[in-house]
Amino acid sequence: MKKLIIIACLLIAVSGMAQQLERGTVLIKNGTVLTITQGVKENTDVLIKDGKISQIGKNIAAPAGARVIDATGHHVMPGIIDAHSHLALDAVNEATTPVSAMVWEGDDLDPLDVGMYRAVAGGVTISHAMHGSANAIGGQCQTIKHRYGTVDPRVLMMEGAPRTIKFALGENPTRVHGNNGAGIVPNTRMGVEFVIRQAFSEGKEYMESWNKYNASKNQKGFRGAPPKYDLRMETIAAILRGEIIIHCHSYRADEIYMLLKVCKDFGIKRLVFQHVNEGFKVAPELAAQGAMASVFADWWAYKFEVYYSTAYNAAILTRNGVVTSINSDDAELTRHLYHEAAKTQKYGGLTDEEALSLITINPAKQLGIESRVGSLEVGKDGDVVIFKGHPLSVYAVPTFTIIDGVVKFDREKDPDDMRLYVDPKQTIDMTDAVFEDESSHNHDECMKNAEFLLGVKFADQNR
Amino acid sequence: MKRLFSSVLLRKMLTVMVFCWPAVVFAQDELAPVSRTYAITNVNIVQAPGRKIDMGTVVMKDGLIVSVGKNVSIPADAIVIKADSMYVYAGFIDGLSRVGLTKPKDEERGGRPKDPGNPKPEEAGITPNNDVRASINPNEKSIEELRALGFTAAHVVPYGGMMPGNGAIILLSGKSADDMVLVNKSSFYSELSPARGVYPATVMGVMAKYRELYRQAVLSRAYENSYASNRAGIQRPATDRVIESLYPVVDKRQPVLFKAERVVDAQRVLTLQNDLGFSLMLAELKEGWDIVNKLKSANARVFLSLDLPEDKDKKDDKKKDEPRKEEGKKDEVKKEEPKKEEAPKTGTAEEKAALEKRKAEFMAKYVGQAATFQKASVKFGFSTLSAKSGNIQGNLRRMIEAGLPEDAALASLTTAPAELLGLSDRLGSIDNGKIANLVISDKPYFNEKAKVRYVFVEGTMYKFEVKDSKESKEGKKGEGGKDGGVKVEGEWNISTETTNGVEQARLTLKKEGNAITGTMSGGSINPAVDIENARLEGNSLTFNFTFNYGGSKLKVEVAVKIDGDTLKGTSTVAEYGSYPTEGKRLPK
Repeated sequence: MKKLIIIACLLIAVSGMAQQLERGTVLIKNGTVLTITQGVKENTDVLIKDGKISQIGKNIAAPAGARVIDATGHHVMPGIIDAHSHLALDAVNEATTPVSAMVWEGDDLDPLDVGMYRAVAGGVTISHAMHGSANAIGGQCQTIKHRYGTVDPRVLMMEGAPRTIKFALGENPTRVHGNNGAGIVPNTRMGVEFVIRQAFSEGKEYMESWNKYNASKNQKGFRGAPPKYDLRMETIAAILRGEIIIHCHSYRADEIYMLLKVCKDFGIKRLVFQHVNEGFKVAPELAAQGAMASVFADWWAYKFEVYYSTAYNAAILTRNGVVTSINSDDAELTRHLYHEAAKTQKYGGLTDEEALSLITINPAKQLGIESRVGSLEVGKDGDVVIFKGHPLSVYAVPTFTIIDGVVKFDREKDPDDMRLYVDPKQTIDMTDAVFEDESSHNHDECMKNAEFLLGVKFADQNR
Repeated sequence: MKRLFSSVLLRKMLTVMVFCWPAVVFAQDELAPVSRTYAITNVNIVQAPGRKIDMGTVVMKDGLIVSVGKNVSIPADAIVIKADSMYVYAGFIDGLSRVGLTKPKDEERGGRPKDPGNPKPEEAGITPNNDVRASINPNEKSIEELRALGFTAAHVVPYGGMMPGNGAIILLSGKSADDMVLVNKSSFYSELSPARGVYPATVMGVMAKYRELYRQAVLSRAYENSYASNRAGIQRPATDRVIESLYPVVDKRQPVLFKAERVVDAQRVLTLQNDLGFSLMLAELKEGWDIVNKLKSANARVFLSLDLPEDKDKKDDKKKDEPRKEEGKKDEVKKEEPKKEEAPKTGTAEEKAALEKRKAEFMAKYVGQAATFQKASVKFGFSTLSAKSGNIQGNLRRMIEAGLPEDAALASLTTAPAELLGLSDRLGSIDNGKIANLVISDKPYFNEKAKVRYVFVEGTMYKFEVKDSKESKEGKKGEGGKDGGVKVEGEWNISTETTNGVEQARLTLKKEGNAITGTMSGGSINPAVDIENARLEGNSLTFNFTFNYGGSKLKVEVAVKIDGDTLKGTSTVAEYGSYPTEGKRLPK
């Protein structure tokens, strides 16, 4: 009974938290519908009712109050999903400790980031707001829907999306922690493995001690002390229980294989590798263990461990049966992920469906949200992009982006200044503009907020 | 007291007078008054918003209000103040400030911390057991400044990181910190401020640490209670100064007072409150217009900031208009070929106009925040934490112009904060039995020309004499000239907040004629270097210097404003960015 009351209280609390999400009704008429999972349907209508796809077919009548968009000659596809992003985040790295599993990017979402609107203008409706790669076990990430226009960070969080966490191998965690003369493990790649194994072992002990306490605390006469609550270990325990998907920053095949083994040892099944530039070398091993890969289309050589790379990576992984996605890790690149996906047709000859899967259903699988988004199917969320031209063509132009049946981008109505909040004291400073432009070339956003631990004075020399 | 009127202080006060508080001089009796009974006669009494007595009398005795009304008998021992046709209000209450506190010096950081993931609580900004009384200095100048505006009580909090310590409600008068305290441990003060270089170094770290400490406190509180009921045979609870400080909060006996200026910060605080369930006071809010209803449903007790973005545009408008007018004239002259000129101009001009429009739209939101809350019937107080005392009255008037009724403004300075802080039985209105905190102005307080003439704090009188405007003009004259009489010479301690912590340096300035020379030394600047291109205009000093840093030459451009013995501004390093710089002149 007590339990029931607690559950009821929790439900009330949760429903109190649940924000009123805006859901719309849109009828998209007569487009070429790229469903991703159910083929291409010519001259077909898509009806989104109260935020969900309710019908795909011919000659659908518009319900009362529906917005009707004529997509004749246009392509209609599911909203693009970016499995690696740092959009809408204030801080990226809690770089003070090699295991920062207690922190969560959901806590520092910035709903005012206009970058979200720019992403929406490129057809991206969902991104994975990730912690950076400064730590072997980084912070928890948050899957967000680009419901730009709210000031409430909780509205951005995709309701029901599974928890995810960032891990990182190789140069970044060793550089931030060990290689700094501070004598903190990890200083080497084997140190990284040790840190992860140690955390998992401690997490296991922590979980067992709580299980033991919870089992005995309701027994008559039991008056023992509870174990010390530890948020870091709470998270690790949840990973071990399979409640959190690991997204691991990685480049080299040897350490990708290492983490596969570590996860096998601890019974962890939900594992996605990020960047994974040498993934093509261990593609069968990844497929065998059900691990997934989220890669760049053709981006490498920005540090020593990222030289052995190929633009065929996505194609090789795909053809070996690895669920593969193409990500941006960048506020600018995310705006044309469809071009990035198209590169796999030049390098590897992927089919249209395979190429488009890299930015829709596959990243959805990697984030554990494939039952909700990633393809155009009845019952799924009304997240849709309409393209003039085929999305894999260099002439592709997104004209509408719809999230939950609400038009979030309309090329005809696209004001210059889409910022939600404006500094009333803002001055126009051309030097600022130059700085901003430069920082957009800094592709290593994964190391944001970690600069101060690298002994760099005055600014980030970490490009 | 007279000794304090050194030339520097006098000049500062003149500056205050000229710019924001015309022609007022502070004067306070050095000797204890012969009586602690006062009668203010023939005064317009605003007992509380909407409750007025024209030409009445207020009598105070031993720090308490003893009678208020029209036909009040004046005790024989009363000092009578003939406040003919002046206005008396309950003393104002400040919901969050550090008035009376001396800012602790930034500790110089010795490079990278050894184990940044496991700092001591103090290094991590976690000092909830701190007592603000330890840092209150009753002679701190800020008390005098705030009191001169009519504030008589303030909710003060210690300096620190995410959990700086316990707040206290103090009266702005007293000989010692303990003497001033009205309510101790009135709140558990918190900020979303990360620690420097150690965990939690980000806002998400602060949120995680906050949750962890709170949940630990809940568990350990429960165990402690169980232990207290029967100690035999079970392990004693661990002691922990941080966790124990949270017990009054988890027991809901003490509210959490969170500072949150930006809308995003306020949302994060609401998230924490929603997750943990503490009783919340949210103060120094500047961007709350979109979350009024959320704050309402969270039962948050809200204090809006008295700081507003400065409306510089009004001054600049003239400048901007001038070239525009000229362009207009040109067009008139060259009537034959107007199209050629217009075409390239439109793009940028339109963009500029659009930006100015949006800026104005948001300026209106900041200034109208209080009116927005008032219209939504949310009770709120004000806080002064980041407001300059010289701007407070002007900002109140701007809020009133933006739609906040005067009565509501007065309520937010008196009755509302008294209620929100649980002080309604002692403060907030002019009623018998309440603490004698009063402010008397010669015109209605929100009138532009109103001047505060008397302030009473628990029956102690502070009198402000108004000199005629001639002298203030003379004062202005004395300050005239290009450099405004600003003294630059001397030894300055300079601290600059870089991304890598605070850089300390010593600046030595000399002035011969109009030429300013000097050196920078200390910290990373070794050996000392000469400063170049030093210029002083008004109180703005600019110069640059180049020093050797780790084998490369860094050129730093400094732009600061000198205010008495302090300076404030920025240091800019080409291609890296600007960093806030502050300085203090060392006493000779």
